[in-house]
Amino acid sequence: MTNLSFTRAGLVSGTIAAVTALTFAAGTLTPGIARADEARKSSLDDQPAVRHRLLLVAKRLEVTPLFESTINADFRHFIGGGLKLEYHLSDMLSFGGIVVGSTALDTKLTKRIMETLEPNPDDTTREPSVQEFEQRLNTMPLHGALYVSITPWYGKLAAFGKAFVNFDFYFQAGFGFASLKSSCASNICSDMGSWQTDMPDDNPNNDPPLNDGFRPGLYLGGGIHVFVNEFIAIDLAIRDYAFSDNPSGADFNADLFVGENLRGDDDNRFLHHLFAGVGVSIMFPMKAKRTR
Amino acid sequence: MRGRNLITSTLATLGIAALLLGGTREAAAQPDDEIEMDDPGGAVDEGEIEMDGEPERDLDADLAADTGGAVKVDTTSGDLKPVSWQDIVVVMRKPFLKIRRSDLMPFLSTTMNDNMVRHYAAGGQFNYFLTDVLAVGVEGQYYTKQFREPFDLVGRQARRLPTINQYNFSAALNFHYVPVYGKFAILDKKLVAWETYFTAGVGVTQSEVVPRDPRFSSFTNLLITPNIGASMRFFLFQWLTVNVGIRDYIFVDKFEPVGRSATMFTSAEAAKANADSALINNVMFQVGLSFWIPPTFEYTTFR
Repeated sequence: MTNLSFTRAGLVSGTIAAVTALTFAAGTLTPGIARADEARKSSLDDQPAVRHRLLLVAKRLEVTPLFESTINADFRHFIGGGLKLEYHLSDMLSFGGIVVGSTALDTKLTKRIMETLEPNPDDTTREPSVQEFEQRLNTMPLHGALYVSITPWYGKLAAFGKAFVNFDFYFQAGFGFASLKSSCASNICSDMGSWQTDMPDDNPNNDPPLNDGFRPGLYLGGGIHVFVNEFIAIDLAIRDYAFSDNPSGADFNADLFVGENLRGDDDNRFLHHLFAGVGVSIMFPMKAKRTR
Repeated sequence: MRGRNLITSTLATLGIAALLLGGTREAAAQPDDEIEMDDPGGAVDEGEIEMDGEPERDLDADLAADTGGAVKVDTTSGDLKPVSWQDIVVVMRKPFLKIRRSDLMPFLSTTMNDNMVRHYAAGGQFNYFLTDVLAVGVEGQYYTKQFREPFDLVGRQARRLPTINQYNFSAALNFHYVPVYGKFAILDKKLVAWETYFTAGVGVTQSEVVPRDPRFSSFTNLLITPNIGASMRFFLFQWLTVNVGIRDYIFVDKFEPVGRSATMFTSAEAAKANADSALINNVMFQVGLSFWIPPTFEYTTFR
């Protein structure tokens, strides 16, 4: 009885002490856990997604011989080669320029149309002759752009479980330009009169096409670098050079005249010229750095 | 006796409390225990380091090295410690499992390679993944058309009426294979896993002639359509992915005969019987969302 009483008393006293101690510990522990959570959360938030990352582009000059071809061109494909020079201020921001020289190939649409056109000019009909149609089409011997580029995505990929390579996606915007050329012979494009000086003859087939010369415009692009090693990458890109153009050199605004009319409309309009490009990028210096 | 009991229990309780407090302080101090992998001296972190001073390890040389004289280390010994933190390789578990799951993908697509008529399509795919890299599925699309600028220009400028067909619907049985996977970081903050997969399949497409002269009736063709393509899948959640891809639908289409006039091939049957055939590559760009069934998955291997 006594022992039991003592035991109970001891148990009660011990329990009270334990509860007091645990309450004290919990009181101290809870803010401690909260502080730890806060510290851990904020600490991770500040950390980069990837440590010891190979900086494959930062503070490097990218020199890229490249090949480019139009996508889904209307009358003529432009295929050519050029050079891209780009300096990467950081792993996300860069600026550069691109210049491409191109040759022209008739599209299947152009070939099919020319197969059915009259062989010689005939002003009594509304249709153009083969020469009138073909010689009005312009070419694009040179085009290019100056741009700013951002590289927001980078990563690694594994192909067939064997090849592990780095890659990044980039997006570009800037100013584009093109040098257009058309060569309509004087006996084909013989009507040199203007709307202001002469009454139009309502035959647009013998008017000069007015679709050559230097055309400034805008440029948008996007692509991917697939790094073969630290300093060589395959560069795949889609580029849009947008500028004023009239690829067919024919009457677009249905005024039966090619050239500037009284409304100031000269049949040119702002068109997008989409190109697909592939190149080999060489990075200088050839040694890449790593992040911590 | 009573006093001893009280002292004993109080001491024990305080000991537990002290242990807990000690653990609390350790937990609070945890974020400061960052591991410096390359700079134990605690140099200022400038964001990048030069690699010139660090010799490259040659795998071939390592493999060719004579290991005859090497001493076997008792790895069961508790005293064995890693040489450095660099010896610990962290391999992420695959972030997304597809095996024995299905994805239901509504998608939109548009023509990439036709300069006369652009088709827009709304469709759906249902795929079942036999393994994590191989899937079998079905797809269906419904098309609408929009004439592009050259369709009008050719008529007005060259005085020629283009011969074109529109597509009404298509369906296919497809196989998908995933050879490429990877991950990328967005703005150095968020990691996203992705993969590239190739598709090959066969199906049917219904095309319909757009008569050059609206007086004449059109006719339809049901065309055997193999298709090949490549797509990318971005993993957003366990139940949702975003897919973008390019698909080439290949078929031999039948077009309105060139000589169709008021005196020749006026009926749809006659025009179809004398139709001109041509091999068509209808390249479409597709964007879709995949909803995965079941929406969650469980790993069957240990971490």
